[in-house]
Amino acid sequence: MSQIPRSRGRPSAFALADRERERGRGGDHPSPSADVSEEAPSTSRGPDARAVPAPGPGGGRRFQAAPAVGPRTQKQLELKVAELVQFLLVKDQKKIPIKRTDILKHVVGDYKDVFPELLRLAAGRLRDVFGYELVELEPRSNAYILVNTLEPVEEDAEVRGDQGTPAAGLLMIVLGLIFMKGNTITETEVWDFLRRLGVYPTKRHLIFGDPKKLITEDFVRQRYLEYRRIPHTDPVDYELQWGPRTNLETSKMKVLKFVAKIHNQDPKDWPVQYCEALMDEENRARPPSSAPAPSS
Amino acid sequence: MTDVHRRFLQLLMTHGVLEEGDVRRLQKHCYQVHDRNAPVEKLEDFINTINSVLESLYIEIKKGVTEDDGRPIYALVNLATTSVSKMATDFAENELDLFRKALELIIDSESGFASSTNILNLVDQLKGKKMRKKEAEQVLQKFVQNKWLIEKEGEFTLHSRAILEMEQYIRETHPDAVKTCNICRGLLIQGQSCETCGIRMHLPCVAKYFQSTAEPRCPHCNDYWPHEIPEVFDPEKERDAGVSRTSRKSLRARQH
Repeated sequence: MSQIPRSRGRPSAFALADRERERGRGGDHPSPSADVSEEAPSTSRGPDARAVPAPGPGGGRRFQAAPAVGPRTQKQLELKVAELVQFLLVKDQKKIPIKRTDILKHVVGDYKDVFPELLRLAAGRLRDVFGYELVELEPRSNAYILVNTLEPVEEDAEVRGDQGTPAAGLLMIVLGLIFMKGNTITETEVWDFLRRLGVYPTKRHLIFGDPKKLITEDFVRQRYLEYRRIPHTDPVDYELQWGPRTNLETSKMKVLKFVAKIHNQDPKDWPVQYCEALMDEENRARPPSSAPAPSS
Repeated sequence: MTDVHRRFLQLLMTHGVLEEGDVRRLQKHCYQVHDRNAPVEKLEDFINTINSVLESLYIEIKKGVTEDDGRPIYALVNLATTSVSKMATDFAENELDLFRKALELIIDSESGFASSTNILNLVDQLKGKKMRKKEAEQVLQKFVQNKWLIEKEGEFTLHSRAILEMEQYIRETHPDAVKTCNICRGLLIQGQSCETCGIRMHLPCVAKYFQSTAEPRCPHCNDYWPHEIPEVFDPEKERDAGVSRTSRKSLRARQH
Protein backbone atom coordinates (compact mmCIF):
# COMPACT_ATOMS: atom_id res chain seq x y z
CA MET A 1 0.00 0.00 0.00
CA SER A 2 2.72 2.44 0.82
CA GLN A 3 4.42 3.41 -2.37
CA ILE A 4 7.58 5.43 -2.13
CA PRO A 5 7.08 8.66 -4.00
CA ARG A 6 10.50 9.62 -5.20
CA SER A 7 10.57 13.34 -4.94
CA ARG A 8 8.42 15.42 -2.70
CA GLY A 9 8.44 19.02 -1.72
CA ARG A 10 9.82 18.43 1.71
CA PRO A 11 12.00 15.46 2.49
CA SER A 12 10.87 13.51 5.47
CA ALA A 13 12.74 14.34 8.59
CA PHE A 14 13.43 10.73 9.30
CA ALA A 15 14.10 9.33 5.89
CA LEU A 16 17.80 8.66 6.17
CA ALA A 17 17.50 7.28 9.66
CA ASP A 18 15.05 4.75 8.44
CA ARG A 19 17.19 3.53 5.59
CA GLU A 20 20.17 3.27 7.91
CA ARG A 21 18.17 1.13 10.23
CA GLU A 22 17.17 -1.23 7.49
CA ARG A 23 20.80 -2.12 7.11
CA GLY A 24 20.44 -3.86 10.41
CA ARG A 25 22.20 -1.40 12.64
CA GLY A 26 20.51 -0.26 15.79
CA GLY A 27 20.56 3.32 14.72
CA ASP A 28 23.83 4.15 16.43
CA HIS A 29 26.25 4.51 13.58
CA PRO A 30 24.51 4.31 10.26
CA SER A 31 26.31 3.04 7.21
CA PRO A 32 28.76 5.49 5.65
CA SER A 33 27.40 4.90 2.20
CA ALA A 34 24.26 6.85 3.03
CA ASP A 35 23.18 8.54 -0.13
CA VAL A 36 22.56 12.10 0.78
CA SER A 37 20.64 12.90 -2.34
CA GLU A 38 17.94 10.32 -1.77
CA GLU A 39 15.42 11.38 0.75
CA ALA A 40 12.57 8.97 0.39
CA PRO A 41 9.86 9.17 2.99
CA SER A 42 10.11 6.72 5.82
CA THR A 43 8.62 3.39 4.91
CA SER A 44 10.31 0.99 7.26
CA ARG A 45 10.86 -1.35 4.37
CA GLY A 46 13.89 -3.52 4.42
CA PRO A 47 15.19 -6.98 5.00
CA ASP A 48 13.81 -7.17 8.49
CA ALA A 49 10.36 -6.02 7.59
CA ARG A 50 10.10 -8.43 4.68
CA ALA A 51 8.41 -11.04 6.75
CA VAL A 52 5.49 -8.74 7.33
CA PRO A 53 2.60 -9.87 5.18
CA ALA A 54 1.65 -7.75 2.21
CA PRO A 55 -0.45 -4.76 3.08
CA GLY A 56 -4.04 -5.65 3.52
CA PRO A 57 -6.12 -6.76 6.43
CA GLY A 58 -3.06 -7.69 8.40
CA GLY A 59 -4.49 -6.10 11.48
CA GLY A 60 -4.66 -9.37 13.28
CA ARG A 61 -1.18 -9.01 14.71
CA ARG A 62 -1.23 -7.95 18.31
CA PHE A 63 1.74 -6.40 19.93
CA GLN A 64 2.89 -8.16 23.06
CA ALA A 65 5.28 -6.80 25.58
CA ALA A 66 7.47 -9.88 25.14
CA PRO A 67 10.61 -9.29 23.10
CA ALA A 68 10.99 -10.17 19.43
CA VAL A 69 7.40 -10.23 18.32
CA GLY A 70 7.10 -11.40 14.75
CA PRO A 71 9.93 -10.17 12.54
CA ARG A 72 10.58 -7.05 14.56
CA THR A 73 13.04 -6.82 17.38
CA GLN A 74 12.54 -4.85 20.54
CA LYS A 75 15.22 -2.48 19.32
CA GLN A 76 13.43 -1.78 16.08
CA LEU A 77 10.22 -1.03 17.90
CA GLU A 78 12.07 1.20 20.32
CA LEU A 79 13.51 3.11 17.40
CA LYS A 80 10.06 3.43 15.85
CA VAL A 81 8.68 4.87 19.06
CA ALA A 82 11.62 7.28 19.20
CA GLU A 83 10.90 8.40 15.64
CA LEU A 84 7.25 8.85 16.46
CA VAL A 85 8.03 10.93 19.54
CA GLN A 86 10.35 13.21 17.59
CA PHE A 87 7.84 13.51 14.77
CA LEU A 88 5.07 14.53 17.14
CA LEU A 89 7.29 17.04 18.94
CA VAL A 90 8.41 18.66 15.74
CA LYS A 91 4.95 18.75 14.18
CA ASP A 92 3.36 20.19 17.27
CA GLN A 93 5.80 23.08 17.21
CA LYS A 94 3.85 24.44 14.27
CA LYS A 95 0.72 24.25 16.38
CA ILE A 96 -1.13 22.48 13.60
CA PRO A 97 -2.96 19.34 14.69
CA ILE A 98 -1.14 16.22 13.60
CA LYS A 99 -3.23 14.00 11.39
CA ARG A 100 -3.28 10.28 11.96
CA THR A 101 -2.80 9.78 8.23
CA ASP A 102 0.40 11.83 8.32
CA ILE A 103 1.71 9.80 11.21
CA LEU A 104 0.99 6.59 9.33
CA LYS A 105 2.51 7.88 6.12
CA HIS A 106 5.66 9.50 7.42
CA VAL A 107 6.63 7.46 10.43
CA VAL A 108 4.73 4.26 10.98
CA GLY A 109 4.77 2.82 7.48
CA ASP A 110 4.99 -0.95 7.62
CA TYR A 111 4.55 -0.97 11.35
CA LYS A 112 0.95 -0.09 10.77
CA ASP A 113 -0.36 -3.21 12.48
CA VAL A 114 1.19 -2.19 15.78
CA PHE A 115 0.28 1.44 15.35
CA PRO A 116 -2.03 1.67 18.38
CA GLU A 117 0.69 0.26 20.59
CA LEU A 118 3.33 2.55 19.08
CA LEU A 119 1.11 5.54 19.68
CA ARG A 120 0.42 4.46 23.24
CA LEU A 121 4.14 4.04 23.94
CA ALA A 122 4.97 7.35 22.29
CA ALA A 123 2.29 9.10 24.33
CA GLY A 124 3.77 7.60 27.46
CA ARG A 125 7.26 8.84 26.65
CA LEU A 126 5.95 12.28 25.79
CA ARG A 127 4.26 12.46 29.16
CA ASP A 128 7.04 11.00 31.30
CA VAL A 129 10.00 12.63 29.60
CA PHE A 130 8.70 15.95 28.32
CA GLY A 131 5.52 16.59 30.26
CA TYR A 132 3.33 16.70 27.15
CA GLU A 133 0.00 14.95 26.92
CA LEU A 134 -0.91 13.58 23.50
CA VAL A 135 -4.57 14.40 23.07
CA GLU A 136 -7.01 13.82 20.29
CA LEU A 137 -8.33 17.17 19.16
CA GLU A 138 -11.92 16.04 19.06
CA PRO A 139 -13.37 12.58 19.44
CA ARG A 140 -12.98 10.69 16.18
CA SER A 141 -11.16 13.58 14.52
CA ASN A 142 -8.04 11.44 14.04
CA ALA A 143 -5.95 14.52 14.68
CA TYR A 144 -3.74 15.09 17.70
CA ILE A 145 -2.13 17.90 19.62
CA LEU A 146 0.29 18.04 22.52
CA VAL A 147 -1.02 19.71 25.64
CA ASN A 148 1.49 20.88 28.22
CA THR A 149 1.00 19.28 31.61
CA LEU A 150 3.32 21.88 33.12
CA GLU A 151 1.75 25.21 33.92
CA PRO A 152 3.40 28.03 31.97
CA VAL A 153 4.97 30.58 34.26
CA GLU A 154 5.67 34.23 33.50
CA GLU A 155 9.39 33.84 34.07
CA ASP A 156 9.54 31.15 31.39
CA ALA A 157 9.53 33.96 28.87
CA GLU A 158 12.93 35.12 30.09
CA VAL A 159 14.63 31.80 29.51
CA ARG A 160 12.92 30.72 26.33
CA GLY A 161 14.70 30.56 23.00
CA ASP A 162 11.73 31.38 20.86
CA GLN A 163 10.26 34.79 21.50
CA GLY A 164 7.11 33.17 22.76
CA THR A 165 4.79 34.58 20.18
CA PRO A 166 3.33 38.04 20.19
CA ALA A 167 0.47 36.36 18.39
CA ALA A 168 -0.38 34.62 21.66
CA GLY A 169 -1.25 38.00 23.14
CA LEU A 170 -3.66 38.78 20.35
CA LEU A 171 -5.18 35.33 20.65
CA MET A 172 -5.77 35.79 24.36
CA ILE A 173 -7.53 39.07 23.72
CA VAL A 174 -9.81 37.52 21.12
CA LEU A 175 -10.53 34.48 23.30
CA GLY A 176 -11.39 36.81 26.17
CA LEU A 177 -13.65 38.85 23.96
CA ILE A 178 -15.50 35.80 22.73
CA PHE A 179 -16.05 34.42 26.21
CA MET A 180 -17.15 37.69 27.74
CA LYS A 181 -19.64 38.23 24.93
CA GLY A 182 -21.33 34.89 25.55
CA ASN A 183 -19.07 32.43 23.69
CA THR A 184 -19.80 33.72 20.23
CA ILE A 185 -19.05 36.98 18.51
CA THR A 186 -19.19 38.41 15.01
CA GLU A 187 -16.09 39.40 13.13
CA THR A 188 -17.44 42.94 12.89
CA GLU A 189 -17.58 43.14 16.68
CA VAL A 190 -14.04 41.85 16.94
CA TRP A 191 -12.67 44.61 14.73
CA ASP A 192 -14.80 47.25 16.44
CA PHE A 193 -13.09 46.27 19.65
CA LEU A 194 -9.58 45.81 18.29
CA ARG A 195 -9.66 49.13 16.48
CA ARG A 196 -9.78 50.77 19.87
CA LEU A 197 -6.47 49.06 20.63
CA GLY A 198 -4.97 50.24 17.38
CA VAL A 199 -5.29 46.91 15.65
CA TYR A 200 -6.88 47.01 12.20
CA PRO A 201 -7.79 44.28 9.72
CA THR A 202 -6.30 46.14 6.80
CA LYS A 203 -3.25 47.70 8.37
CA ARG A 204 0.05 46.00 9.14
CA HIS A 205 0.65 45.94 12.89
CA LEU A 206 4.08 46.49 14.39
CA ILE A 207 3.83 43.57 16.78
CA PHE A 208 1.19 41.30 15.30
CA GLY A 209 2.01 41.72 11.65
CA ASP A 210 -1.13 40.79 9.79
CA PRO A 211 -3.88 40.63 12.44
CA LYS A 212 -6.60 39.66 9.97
CA LYS A 213 -4.58 36.69 8.76
CA LEU A 214 -3.74 35.69 12.31
CA ILE A 215 -7.32 35.74 13.49
CA THR A 216 -9.18 34.42 10.47
CA GLU A 217 -6.56 32.00 9.14
CA ASP A 218 -3.69 31.07 11.45
CA PHE A 219 -5.64 30.71 14.69
CA VAL A 220 -8.33 28.83 12.82
CA ARG A 221 -5.87 26.45 11.23
CA GLN A 222 -4.30 25.88 14.62
CA ARG A 223 -7.80 25.13 15.92
CA TYR A 224 -7.82 27.85 18.54
CA LEU A 225 -10.80 29.49 16.83
CA GLU A 226 -13.78 28.47 14.79
CA TYR A 227 -14.64 30.87 11.98
CA ARG A 228 -17.98 30.42 10.27
CA ARG A 229 -19.88 32.47 7.77
CA ILE A 230 -23.17 33.81 9.04
CA PRO A 231 -25.74 33.11 6.30
CA HIS A 232 -27.90 35.85 4.90
CA THR A 233 -25.60 38.64 6.01
CA ASP A 234 -24.86 41.46 3.63
CA PRO A 235 -22.07 42.53 3.78
CA VAL A 236 -20.90 39.06 4.71
CA ASP A 237 -20.14 38.62 8.37
CA TYR A 238 -18.60 35.70 10.22
CA GLU A 239 -18.97 34.33 13.68
CA LEU A 240 -16.04 33.44 15.89
CA GLN A 241 -16.03 30.89 18.68
CA TRP A 242 -13.49 28.99 20.66
CA GLY A 243 -11.95 26.10 18.77
CA PRO A 244 -11.26 22.62 20.14
CA ARG A 245 -7.62 23.36 20.93
CA THR A 246 -8.56 26.27 23.18
CA ASN A 247 -10.70 24.07 25.35
CA LEU A 248 -7.86 21.61 25.69
CA GLU A 249 -5.10 24.09 26.36
CA THR A 250 -6.85 26.60 28.56
CA SER A 251 -10.15 27.09 30.35
CA LYS A 252 -12.93 29.62 30.83
CA MET A 253 -11.65 30.34 34.29
CA LYS A 254 -8.12 31.01 33.07
CA VAL A 255 -9.38 33.32 30.36
CA LEU A 256 -11.67 35.12 32.81
CA LYS A 257 -8.74 35.62 35.16
CA PHE A 258 -6.77 37.08 32.28
CA VAL A 259 -9.56 39.50 31.41
CA ALA A 260 -9.93 40.46 35.07
CA LYS A 261 -6.21 41.08 35.33
CA ILE A 262 -6.23 43.44 32.37
CA HIS A 263 -9.04 45.42 33.93
CA ASN A 264 -7.37 45.28 37.30
CA GLN A 265 -10.49 43.73 38.75
CA ASP A 266 -11.64 40.49 40.24
CA PRO A 267 -13.14 37.67 38.16
CA LYS A 268 -16.16 37.74 40.45
CA ASP A 269 -16.96 41.21 39.16
CA TRP A 270 -18.51 39.44 36.19
CA PRO A 271 -20.97 37.12 37.97
CA VAL A 272 -22.45 35.57 34.85
CA GLN A 273 -19.12 34.65 33.36
CA TYR A 274 -17.74 33.66 36.75
CA CYS A 275 -20.61 31.21 37.24
CA GLU A 276 -20.07 29.77 33.81
CA ALA A 277 -16.34 29.44 34.44
CA LEU A 278 -16.99 27.66 37.73
CA MET A 279 -19.29 25.17 36.08
CA ASP A 280 -16.66 24.57 33.44
CA GLU A 281 -14.12 23.86 36.18
CA GLU A 282 -16.48 21.37 37.79
CA ASN A 283 -17.01 19.59 34.50
CA ARG A 284 -13.29 19.34 33.96
CA ALA A 285 -12.67 17.94 37.41
CA ARG A 286 -15.31 15.27 36.97
CA PRO A 287 -13.83 12.52 34.78
CA PRO A 288 -16.04 12.01 31.73
CA SER A 289 -17.81 8.65 31.83
CA SER A 290 -16.75 7.58 28.37
CA ALA A 291 -13.07 8.34 28.65
CA PRO A 292 -10.53 5.69 29.61
CA ALA A 293 -9.23 5.85 33.15
CA PRO A 294 -6.29 8.20 33.37
CA SER A 295 -2.96 6.45 33.79
CA SER A 296 -1.21 7.28 37.03
CA MET B 1 12.68 12.50 36.01
CA THR B 2 10.77 15.25 37.78
CA ASP B 3 8.91 18.34 36.63
CA VAL B 4 12.13 20.28 37.18
CA HIS B 5 13.79 18.15 34.50
CA ARG B 6 10.75 18.27 32.24
CA ARG B 7 10.45 22.03 32.30
CA PHE B 8 14.18 22.27 31.71
CA LEU B 9 13.90 19.99 28.71
CA GLN B 10 10.89 21.83 27.29
CA LEU B 11 12.60 25.18 27.56
CA LEU B 12 15.94 23.88 26.33
CA MET B 13 14.17 22.66 23.21
CA THR B 14 13.15 26.21 22.40
CA HIS B 15 16.82 27.02 21.86
CA GLY B 16 18.79 25.54 19.03
CA VAL B 17 21.92 25.83 21.11
CA LEU B 18 22.57 27.42 24.49
CA GLU B 19 25.68 28.67 26.25
CA GLU B 20 26.62 27.15 29.55
CA GLY B 21 25.88 30.26 31.60
CA ASP B 22 22.37 30.40 30.22
CA VAL B 23 21.92 26.69 30.76
CA ARG B 24 22.69 27.19 34.45
CA ARG B 25 20.19 30.04 34.60
CA LEU B 26 17.62 27.83 32.99
CA GLN B 27 18.28 25.07 35.49
CA LYS B 28 17.94 27.49 38.39
CA HIS B 29 14.69 28.80 36.97
CA CYS B 30 13.22 25.31 36.80
CA TYR B 31 14.14 24.64 40.41
CA GLN B 32 12.52 27.95 41.38
CA VAL B 33 9.27 26.95 39.73
CA HIS B 34 8.97 23.41 41.00
CA ASP B 35 11.24 22.82 43.93
CA ARG B 36 12.23 26.10 45.45
CA ASN B 37 13.95 24.72 48.52
CA ALA B 38 15.84 21.88 46.94
CA PRO B 39 19.56 22.34 46.36
CA VAL B 40 20.38 22.83 42.69
CA GLU B 41 22.05 19.68 41.45
CA LYS B 42 25.44 19.93 39.77
CA LEU B 43 24.76 20.70 36.12
CA GLU B 44 26.69 17.71 34.81
CA ASP B 45 24.74 15.29 36.98
CA PHE B 46 21.47 17.03 36.21
CA ILE B 47 22.07 16.63 32.51
CA ASN B 48 23.22 13.05 32.90
CA THR B 49 19.95 12.23 34.66
CA ILE B 50 18.02 13.61 31.73
CA ASN B 51 20.26 11.96 29.16
CA SER B 52 19.82 8.53 30.70
CA VAL B 53 16.09 8.92 30.13
CA LEU B 54 16.55 10.34 26.64
CA GLU B 55 18.77 7.46 25.60
CA SER B 56 15.91 5.19 24.54
CA LEU B 57 14.54 8.05 22.45
CA TYR B 58 17.82 8.36 20.59
CA ILE B 59 18.36 11.98 21.51
CA GLU B 60 20.76 13.55 23.97
CA ILE B 61 21.80 16.86 25.42
CA LYS B 62 25.24 17.20 23.97
CA LYS B 63 27.96 19.48 25.27
CA GLY B 64 30.39 21.14 22.94
CA VAL B 65 32.63 24.15 22.61
CA THR B 66 32.50 27.03 20.15
CA GLU B 67 35.29 26.80 17.63
CA ASP B 68 36.28 30.43 17.70
CA ASP B 69 36.50 31.22 21.39
CA GLY B 70 35.97 28.04 23.32
CA ARG B 71 32.64 28.78 24.99
CA PRO B 72 30.93 25.67 26.35
CA ILE B 73 27.58 25.16 24.66
CA TYR B 74 24.73 22.67 24.85
CA ALA B 75 22.27 21.40 22.27
CA LEU B 76 19.66 18.69 22.04
CA VAL B 77 20.79 16.40 19.22
CA ASN B 78 19.37 13.41 17.43
CA LEU B 79 21.42 10.27 17.65
CA ALA B 80 19.50 8.05 15.26
CA THR B 81 19.19 10.34 12.29
CA THR B 82 22.18 11.51 10.39
CA SER B 83 20.77 13.79 7.76
CA VAL B 84 20.10 17.49 8.04
CA SER B 85 16.88 16.34 9.56
CA LYS B 86 16.33 18.95 12.20
CA MET B 87 16.41 21.57 9.51
CA ALA B 88 14.00 19.63 7.33
CA THR B 89 10.95 21.01 9.05
CA ASP B 90 11.92 24.64 8.68
CA PHE B 91 13.32 24.65 5.17
CA ALA B 92 12.17 23.64 1.72
CA GLU B 93 13.95 21.07 -0.39
CA ASN B 94 15.91 23.59 -2.41
CA GLU B 95 16.91 25.44 0.76
CA LEU B 96 18.19 22.26 2.34
CA ASP B 97 20.13 21.54 -0.79
CA LEU B 98 21.66 25.02 -0.65
CA PHE B 99 22.77 24.24 2.88
CA ARG B 100 24.33 20.97 1.76
CA LYS B 101 26.20 22.75 -1.01
CA ALA B 102 27.45 25.40 1.41
CA LEU B 103 28.42 22.67 3.84
CA GLU B 104 30.46 20.94 1.18
CA LEU B 105 32.30 24.13 0.25
CA ILE B 106 33.00 24.83 3.90
CA ILE B 107 34.41 21.38 4.52
CA ASP B 108 36.56 21.46 1.41
CA SER B 109 37.93 24.91 2.13
CA GLU B 110 41.27 25.51 3.78
CA SER B 111 40.02 28.15 6.18
CA GLY B 112 36.71 26.55 7.05
CA PHE B 113 34.92 29.44 5.37
CA ALA B 114 33.08 29.52 2.06
CA SER B 115 32.53 32.78 0.26
CA SER B 116 29.05 33.99 -0.45
CA THR B 117 29.92 34.23 -4.14
CA ASN B 118 31.02 30.62 -4.39
CA ILE B 119 27.90 29.40 -2.64
CA LEU B 120 25.59 31.49 -4.76
CA ASN B 121 27.23 30.26 -7.94
CA LEU B 122 25.88 26.81 -7.17
CA VAL B 123 22.29 28.00 -7.16
CA ASP B 124 21.58 26.42 -10.54
CA GLN B 125 22.48 22.98 -9.29
CA LEU B 126 19.94 22.92 -6.52
CA LYS B 127 17.27 20.27 -6.25
CA GLY B 128 13.66 21.26 -6.07
CA LYS B 129 12.14 24.56 -7.04
CA LYS B 130 14.41 26.90 -8.97
CA MET B 131 16.03 29.53 -6.75
CA ARG B 132 17.45 32.84 -7.84
CA LYS B 133 20.65 34.24 -6.37
CA LYS B 134 18.79 37.04 -4.63
CA GLU B 135 16.55 34.51 -2.95
CA ALA B 136 19.54 32.38 -2.05
CA GLU B 137 21.12 35.34 -0.28
CA GLN B 138 18.06 35.57 1.92
CA VAL B 139 18.08 31.87 2.59
CA LEU B 140 21.69 32.12 3.72
CA GLN B 141 20.63 34.86 6.13
CA LYS B 142 17.89 32.57 7.39
CA PHE B 143 20.53 29.97 8.11
CA VAL B 144 22.48 32.54 10.08
CA GLN B 145 19.43 33.64 12.05
CA ASN B 146 18.60 30.05 12.89
CA LYS B 147 22.18 29.43 13.97
CA TRP B 148 23.16 26.90 11.34
CA LEU B 149 25.76 29.15 9.76
CA ILE B 150 27.90 32.02 10.96
CA GLU B 151 28.76 34.89 8.64
CA LYS B 152 31.97 36.85 8.84
CA GLU B 153 32.74 39.50 6.23
CA GLY B 154 30.80 37.85 3.45
CA GLU B 155 32.05 34.37 4.22
CA PHE B 156 30.17 31.56 5.86
CA THR B 157 31.19 28.80 8.23
CA LEU B 158 29.29 26.32 10.37
CA HIS B 159 27.67 27.48 13.59
CA SER B 160 28.71 25.40 16.58
CA ARG B 161 25.12 24.21 16.67
CA ALA B 162 25.49 22.65 13.24
CA ILE B 163 28.75 21.02 14.26
CA LEU B 164 27.20 19.52 17.39
CA GLU B 165 24.17 18.27 15.52
CA MET B 166 25.79 17.07 12.34
CA GLU B 167 29.26 15.92 13.26
CA GLN B 168 28.44 12.29 12.64
CA TYR B 169 26.66 13.05 9.40
CA ILE B 170 29.53 15.18 8.19
CA ARG B 171 32.14 12.56 9.00
CA GLU B 172 30.17 9.94 7.14
CA THR B 173 29.34 11.90 4.05
CA HIS B 174 32.75 13.51 3.63
CA PRO B 175 35.17 10.96 5.06
CA ASP B 176 38.11 12.15 3.00
CA ALA B 177 37.61 15.89 3.09
CA VAL B 178 36.88 16.11 6.80
CA LYS B 179 39.53 17.66 9.03
CA THR B 180 40.10 16.69 12.63
CA CYS B 181 41.83 18.30 15.54
CA ASN B 182 45.12 16.78 16.56
CA ILE B 183 44.42 17.38 20.22
CA CYS B 184 40.76 16.49 20.84
CA ARG B 185 40.23 14.39 17.71
CA GLY B 186 36.95 16.18 17.12
CA LEU B 187 35.65 17.44 13.82
CA LEU B 188 37.44 20.60 12.80
CA ILE B 189 36.03 23.35 10.62
CA GLN B 190 37.96 26.40 11.83
CA GLY B 191 41.36 26.14 13.41
CA GLN B 192 45.08 26.64 13.11
CA SER B 193 47.43 24.41 11.19
CA CYS B 194 51.11 23.65 11.31
CA GLU B 195 52.79 25.00 8.20
CA THR B 196 55.34 22.23 8.20
CA CYS B 197 53.45 19.01 8.80
CA GLY B 198 49.89 20.16 8.26
CA ILE B 199 48.25 18.95 11.48
CA ARG B 200 45.38 21.06 12.69
CA MET B 201 44.06 22.21 16.04
CA HIS B 202 40.93 24.01 17.20
CA LEU B 203 41.56 27.50 18.52
CA PRO B 204 40.38 26.59 22.03
CA CYS B 205 42.49 23.42 21.88
CA VAL B 206 45.50 25.53 20.89
CA ALA B 207 44.74 27.86 23.77
CA LYS B 208 44.63 25.06 26.29
CA TYR B 209 47.58 23.13 24.90
CA PHE B 210 49.94 26.06 24.77
CA GLN B 211 48.67 27.74 27.88
CA SER B 212 51.63 29.31 29.65
CA THR B 213 54.14 27.80 27.22
CA ALA B 214 56.92 30.18 26.39
CA GLU B 215 57.79 28.69 23.02
CA PRO B 216 54.85 26.93 21.45
CA ARG B 217 55.87 24.00 19.26
CA CYS B 218 53.87 21.70 17.04
CA PRO B 219 52.96 18.55 18.99
CA HIS B 220 53.59 16.47 15.89
CA CYS B 221 56.73 17.74 14.18
CA ASN B 222 58.07 20.02 16.91
CA ASP B 223 58.49 22.97 14.60
CA TYR B 224 57.79 26.39 16.00
CA TRP B 225 54.06 27.09 16.05
CA PRO B 226 53.68 30.16 13.84
CA HIS B 227 50.28 31.45 14.93
CA GLU B 228 49.02 33.72 17.68
CA ILE B 229 47.97 31.68 20.70
CA PRO B 230 44.44 32.61 21.75
CA GLU B 231 43.32 33.01 25.35
CA VAL B 232 41.61 30.20 27.18
CA PHE B 233 37.94 30.99 27.67
CA ASP B 234 37.25 32.17 31.19
CA PRO B 235 33.61 32.57 32.18
CA GLU B 236 34.64 34.56 35.25
CA LYS B 237 36.33 37.17 33.11
CA GLU B 238 33.17 37.50 31.04
CA ARG B 239 31.09 38.17 34.11
CA ASP B 240 33.52 40.78 35.45
CA ALA B 241 33.62 42.57 32.13
CA GLY B 242 29.93 43.13 32.68
CA VAL B 243 28.96 41.49 29.44
CA SER B 244 25.26 40.98 29.72
CA ARG B 245 24.67 37.34 29.01
CA THR B 246 21.21 37.51 30.47
CA SER B 247 19.69 39.73 27.85
CA ARG B 248 18.32 37.70 25.00
CA LYS B 249 18.95 40.61 22.71
CA SER B 250 22.67 40.49 23.28
CA LEU B 251 22.55 36.74 22.84
CA ARG B 252 21.00 37.12 19.46
CA ALA B 253 23.35 39.91 18.50
CA ARG B 254 26.44 37.83 19.04
CA GLN B 255 27.41 35.99 15.93
CA HIS B 256 27.74 32.70 17.69
